[in-house]
Amino acid sequence: MREIVLAARDVRRDYPVAGEPVHAVRGISLDVAAGDWVAIVGPSGCGKSTLLNLLGAIDRPTTGSIAIRGRDVARMNDADATRFRLTGIGFVFQRFYLMPTLTAAENVELPMAEAKLPRAARVARARELLAYVGLGARADHRPYQLSGGEQQRVAIARALANRPALLLADEPTGELDARTGTEMIALFDRLNRDGTTIVTVTHDEELAQAARRVVHMRDGAIVDQVLRRPLADAVPAPPHAPGTAQA
Amino acid sequence: MSLLPLLAFAALLQQPAPRSITIDERLADAAGLAVGDRVVLGTTPGGAGDTVRIAAITRRSADPSEVARSEFRVRLHLDHLQTLSGSGDRVGRFAVQSRDGAEPSAVAARINASAFGFRAYPAAEVAIETSATFRVVNRFHRAIGVITIVASAIFLLCITLLKVDERRRDVGALRLIGMSRSSVLRAVVLEASLVSLIGSLMGAGLGWFASAVVNWYYQGVYTTPLRFAIVTPGIVLFAVLLSLALGVLAGLFAAQRLVRRAPLELIGR
Repeated sequence: MREIVLAARDVRRDYPVAGEPVHAVRGISLDVAAGDWVAIVGPSGCGKSTLLNLLGAIDRPTTGSIAIRGRDVARMNDADATRFRLTGIGFVFQRFYLMPTLTAAENVELPMAEAKLPRAARVARARELLAYVGLGARADHRPYQLSGGEQQRVAIARALANRPALLLADEPTGELDARTGTEMIALFDRLNRDGTTIVTVTHDEELAQAARRVVHMRDGAIVDQVLRRPLADAVPAPPHAPGTAQA
Repeated sequence: MSLLPLLAFAALLQQPAPRSITIDERLADAAGLAVGDRVVLGTTPGGAGDTVRIAAITRRSADPSEVARSEFRVRLHLDHLQTLSGSGDRVGRFAVQSRDGAEPSAVAARINASAFGFRAYPAAEVAIETSATFRVVNRFHRAIGVITIVASAIFLLCITLLKVDERRRDVGALRLIGMSRSSVLRAVVLEASLVSLIGSLMGAGLGWFASAVVNWYYQGVYTTPLRFAIVTPGIVLFAVLLSLALGVLAGLFAAQRLVRRAPLELIGR
């Protein structure tokens, strides 16, 4: 049996708007096993991104629990949640958010520096990750010298820097053209096959079809789940997987 | 053999050597005179006078009260001046140099007590008296400096706030990937400090260059060694430290404003 990396139970998130509560997420329960790849899809405003923010310890649920590797992120204070995001979760955003004054390698090193990893170790790991995402030769380039697709690859390498338990991606192909988007999907597929546990929120049909499991949301609730490729219990994550921390 | 050349030579030997005078640099420039030139010195224009030799050209001291004076200065030996002016030993004022260790105010008191009508002042007192105007001007400049610094500080704070706020999305993303508030705060303050340090050093360099140009121009206009603008190590140190302090404060204030906001708000979600 695979380890359950993420377990969300009856998660609700209400926002007060003009004195009236808006129910952005309504009692969602979701399990994500190690090595799984879940794509959350649905129309705009259905609560996908809110759910991702809750799963990623960026936001707190109004009720319910969210456990990542057994730790209840829903009850963490701000400092603990920040620390947990640094080491336990990798984030990939639609807009890359690379530091413009740093090189690709330095951008990847940033979370490791914050986690107080020794310099030699983080330099080596940044090079390893950039090589993994196909940017070994561009480690010393700055973001403005890279294409959109290359910047997103650097962002993925950065997200994997501290060997997170889970990789969360919010519309990772949203800013890319079709061809680059397809390349990015291939990279996510490779990451997943190498053992990285991924949850993506997307409007991109092609990206959703590449995931193992597709979760459909509407009005803040899960309305359907489609298992596209089952996880083989017996297949262990490769020992050299650069992303997800090994169970 | 004629004795005429010999007599002429003897007469030349008997002629007294012309007295020497010194003139100031401004007169030398205006009249095109040089050391060794002979000129006729008289008390009335076009009248009879003594032929004198210019022995030296003097430069005026770097005294602000001297800058605007346009008269020329000629210095003679005292007896020569007495003869030429016909005033004998009557003078309006003269300077007394005291021996080393003598207290100037005590010397002035003794002179004042020696005869009725004497009014002696220590040189420092005279200097203070004559530079009162310049002290006022100096205070005025200081006031302008303080106003400039206050205005610059407000400007620097606004610019820092704007520049930091421009990067709120980057900061939001850093917070989302797990960068702590204190790390963001340190990074912003460090950057603001570096920018203000480099800016202040560049400003000091620019100030030094500007003062060199001002001094070169006005020293030429007034023929004076007076330095009209000065950039001393003390001024540079003050400017750098003040700029650094302002940079740190502005960075701290700007960073505090950012890290207080939620990361999602910073990235516009």
